Amino acid sequence: MQSLILYLGIGALVGYFLSKINKHLGPIVLFVLSIYALYVVWQMPTGTNEALFGFGDVLRFTALSKYLSIISLIVFASFGFFNIAWISKAKRPAAFNALSILTLLGTLGVFFSSHFIVLYIFWEIAVLASLFIVPMGKEESKKATVWYIVISSIGTYLFLYGIFMLYSKYSTFDIFEIGKYIQNETVGFKWAVVLLLLAAGIAKSGIFPLHVWLRNVHGNAPDTFSAVLSGQLVKMGSYLIALVLSVFPIANMFAEFYNGVNILSYVLIWLGNISILIGTLMAIKQNDMKMLIAYSTVANGGYILIGLATLHQVGYAGGLFHIINHALAATMIFLSFAAVVYRTGTTKIDELGGLIHRMPVTFVTYLVGIISLAGIPPTSGFISKWMIFQSLVSKGMFVTEMFVFIGSIGSFLYVFRPLAGVFLGQLKNKDKNVKEAPGVMQIPMIILTALTVLWGVFPQQVLVWITDVQKEFGMKSFEFEGTVLKTSMGYWDTWTVFVMFAVGFTIAAVIYILMPKGKKIPLEDQYTSGEFLHNYDLYHYATKFYVFLEREYEGHPSFEDWYLAIVNAMKGIGKFIDYLARRTASAYLFWTAVVLALIMWVRW
Amino acid sequence: MAGIAGTVTRVAGVLLTAFFFGLTFEGFGRKIAARIQKRYGPPWYQNFIDVFKTLTKHGWTHGWIFDFGVLMALGGVIATLSFVPLGNLVAFPGLDNFFVIAYLFTVGALGMAMGMVGTGNPWASIGVARALTLMLGYEVPYLIVITALMFYYKTGNISDIIVAQAQSGGWNIVKFPIGALVALISLQGMLGKEPFEAPIAPAEIASGPMVELSAKYMGLLMLMNTFMEFVEISLFVDFFLGGGTYFVFLLKYFIVWTFAVMVSTVLPRFRIEQAVSFYWTVPILLAFLQAFFVVNGWVF
Amino acid sequence: MAQIDERSVWEKIADQLRSRSMWMLHYCTGCGAVELPPSMTSRFDMERLGMGPMATPRQADIFLITGYLSAKTLRRVIYTYEKMADPKYVIGFGSCTINGGIYYDSYSTINRLDYYIPVDLYIAGCMPRPEAILNAFNTLMKMIRKGEANGWKRYKENYEWYKQNQLRSLKEVIIHDEFHE
Repeated sequence: MQSLILYLGIGALVGYFLSKINKHLGPIVLFVLSIYALYVVWQMPTGTNEALFGFGDVLRFTALSKYLSIISLIVFASFGFFNIAWISKAKRPAAFNALSILTLLGTLGVFFSSHFIVLYIFWEIAVLASLFIVPMGKEESKKATVWYIVISSIGTYLFLYGIFMLYSKYSTFDIFEIGKYIQNETVGFKWAVVLLLLAAGIAKSGIFPLHVWLRNVHGNAPDTFSAVLSGQLVKMGSYLIALVLSVFPIANMFAEFYNGVNILSYVLIWLGNISILIGTLMAIKQNDMKMLIAYSTVANGGYILIGLATLHQVGYAGGLFHIINHALAATMIFLSFAAVVYRTGTTKIDELGGLIHRMPVTFVTYLVGIISLAGIPPTSGFISKWMIFQSLVSKGMFVTEMFVFIGSIGSFLYVFRPLAGVFLGQLKNKDKNVKEAPGVMQIPMIILTALTVLWGVFPQQVLVWITDVQKEFGMKSFEFEGTVLKTSMGYWDTWTVFVMFAVGFTIAAVIYILMPKGKKIPLEDQYTSGEFLHNYDLYHYATKFYVFLEREYEGHPSFEDWYLAIVNAMKGIGKFIDYLARRTASAYLFWTAVVLALIMWVRW
Repeated sequence: MAGIAGTVTRVAGVLLTAFFFGLTFEGFGRKIAARIQKRYGPPWYQNFIDVFKTLTKHGWTHGWIFDFGVLMALGGVIATLSFVPLGNLVAFPGLDNFFVIAYLFTVGALGMAMGMVGTGNPWASIGVARALTLMLGYEVPYLIVITALMFYYKTGNISDIIVAQAQSGGWNIVKFPIGALVALISLQGMLGKEPFEAPIAPAEIASGPMVELSAKYMGLLMLMNTFMEFVEISLFVDFFLGGGTYFVFLLKYFIVWTFAVMVSTVLPRFRIEQAVSFYWTVPILLAFLQAFFVVNGWVF
Repeated sequence: MAQIDERSVWEKIADQLRSRSMWMLHYCTGCGAVELPPSMTSRFDMERLGMGPMATPRQADIFLITGYLSAKTLRRVIYTYEKMADPKYVIGFGSCTINGGIYYDSYSTINRLDYYIPVDLYIAGCMPRPEAILNAFNTLMKMIRKGEANGWKRYKENYEWYKQNQLRSLKEVIIHDEFHE
């Protein structure tokens, strides 16, 4: 592990200087390092401890580290390979390449560390490295970066406070040690410590109430880096939440509240519920395709939090599985958007249309990505959703189920909007000469598509990783046998579902082939109610796609406005103090009066 | 090998039942609607003739996504249908978990939506946007009621719930009356019948999603619609009316279908936002009431 | 004169099916449209013959031209007729489609529909009553079963002749500027 971190650090410098020579070399360095790291992490046995640059025993390779490192490295490898072609449109390629390698370094360091301060240091490396990449996107990304650093800092400094509270009690920073002692503290102390430690995870995953930064940052960052932000960096937050919930014996620390769920988990589940609601309803409104998927990240962060917080044999496994599903799906979707922007130059849905006729591979990637995100069999997205549903039903948590179903069905709505607005529909005149994405960009998209479907039909490999995590933390692990997934409330078989799909498709295809063939007609040959149209650009339904639904919740409160209100209040206080410190007559008078009053009061 | 042969026979049985009886009952439905309007109506085999007639015409295709969407729609619904238990006829015993069926259903819906919007006609996009919005309306109360049932019986397998109803001697419609009412209201939305017919809206948006379908595509989609109706009503009969042997099941199916047709003949069409606001006020409250009763154990 | 029936077995079965399930396009042009609601509703129920209204031309089999056709409407009728799927049947309602009817000397209506799109069946009358309409539908069903309703084949074989007539009367079917035609 220490060698990996060293290689990544050197790789960042090497990547920077190589990019100055030829910008396509930088992503090649990133890709090679990711593949090498993936190989190392796959082989490494869990439970090894190592020292880092002379400080003893601060790195530990748990099953959770292995699982999340593999996810991150898959995302980064695809990102690296895709960038080999995309980097020609980046604004500052050398810095972009170096900083992305540093982000990978920070992330892997977070997953490997077993010492709170080391974790904090690597966390900040990842945040700062990504912080400097975000403003290389559109114009609005510079303001977005400020949101990012402020909210990330809120989380991180609360986390730091929690660490030092624990240090003052137990004089140790080792994560796994503290878990043993904390049982016997007062209730107030336990609540404070756990919530402070989770704050960093909540801020990074974009859970309510610290979710306001996701839309602007993910929407305005450079296109391929949005894939890393949404597919991988928010998973760092999920890692921290999973770690705290499993290392600390939460089930014993807090009182039971509802049907076997303790009160801290219940609070976290409610935060997840509200995140799902906000993410889904806001995503339905968006016109910019990247901001739409950024809101979907908020909703999916809510799903992961609900899954992890149930601390249930099936629910916890479902939360962990959802991490990998969302990582793959978000990466696929953002990479396909990057390909579209690379060719057309815009991210607004109502300026695009009909791109399936020019970019079919990009379309298929997006389609499989949204099938996985919406949780439709036979992709892997359905398995994690099924597990979360089953665990909620077995506990009888009906209000949470309502939010989870709203999130699931709402996700069909909002992922369908870019599908219908960008890829299907009428092809605009200005896009008639757009070409498919370059071959180098198509390869990672195709590989991720294949992985999603493969793990949907044969999820054994992922389930082995997840059950290792559960066993290591002493939880009862999820049961499965071959392709049959079992819970106490029922079971199903992924392979049978896939076979029946193939059979159904074949029956439909047989009828299709036997019947008379249809003549192919161009896009302009439509039913127009008998009217003659000559400009088909306007015959495309993409603006205000769901306006009839949006009208139902038009007057909603906006959390961005509340944060801005706090900012304005701070500015007001600052102005007042500034006013008192100027060299004006009223300021002098004020201070003279204050001093005289003080003297009077002290003297008498 | 007997296992595979038995499974193939059962799957074929389920599919042929859905094809034959689905189209026959649709024909009966047209006759009933006609009698309500004091006329005679078409013969009971009219829907068979309609489907076969459309399959013989020479139509047009709008590209590969159109073909693929229609095939995915019909294929997905056939896959869903093969898992649904028709009373005692279960093709894959033990594998009929409710969530799997509910989500397999969405494959068919997604395939149809994708193929229809792929024609490039905005009427189709409007129809699909309305259909998805309506889905957000009717699915949530329905799923809450069904999960209340699953929580009560502590199982997610539909066959187990059928067996439990037979053992306890009472149908779920008697034990969970509020839930059955909510499920009936959601069923009306799922079938796409008045008053929730806004997605199809024949004259308003030129049939919505089906505007550019000709010839065999129309035939395949009519088959898909029939199979979808069969799945939806079968689920209601299994959950609330206790399944039953083959012909008893079909009788119960016919009664529920007649009820849906009669309601649809006399009611007008809601606007889409009226439909969604309705679903999010009354049925959701009733569904939560039912869940509250189940958690406290107050069932008949 | 009896024609030689050169249809294959599949075509004969298909024609039997098509005659029993005809969907008419909801496109009613002139004053004859008022006779359709009585034919569709309870008294003269059209649905027992298997006929029903259909919203889009892609799925419709029968195109009813109910009354006079001005040049403006004729353009849309030709455009819609070409969007319908084969096999398709056209019925001309009323005298205006046969010989111009009471508008025979108007400058903007056509006098004979058969020159522009192929017509399978005419119904005489101004307006034909629902009994006449149902009689015509029955006749059309018998024609389809015997293989005589071949308007769509005639259109494809004599496309040049029809196009010539259309352009001579209209100058431009898919018009660009309506107001200066």
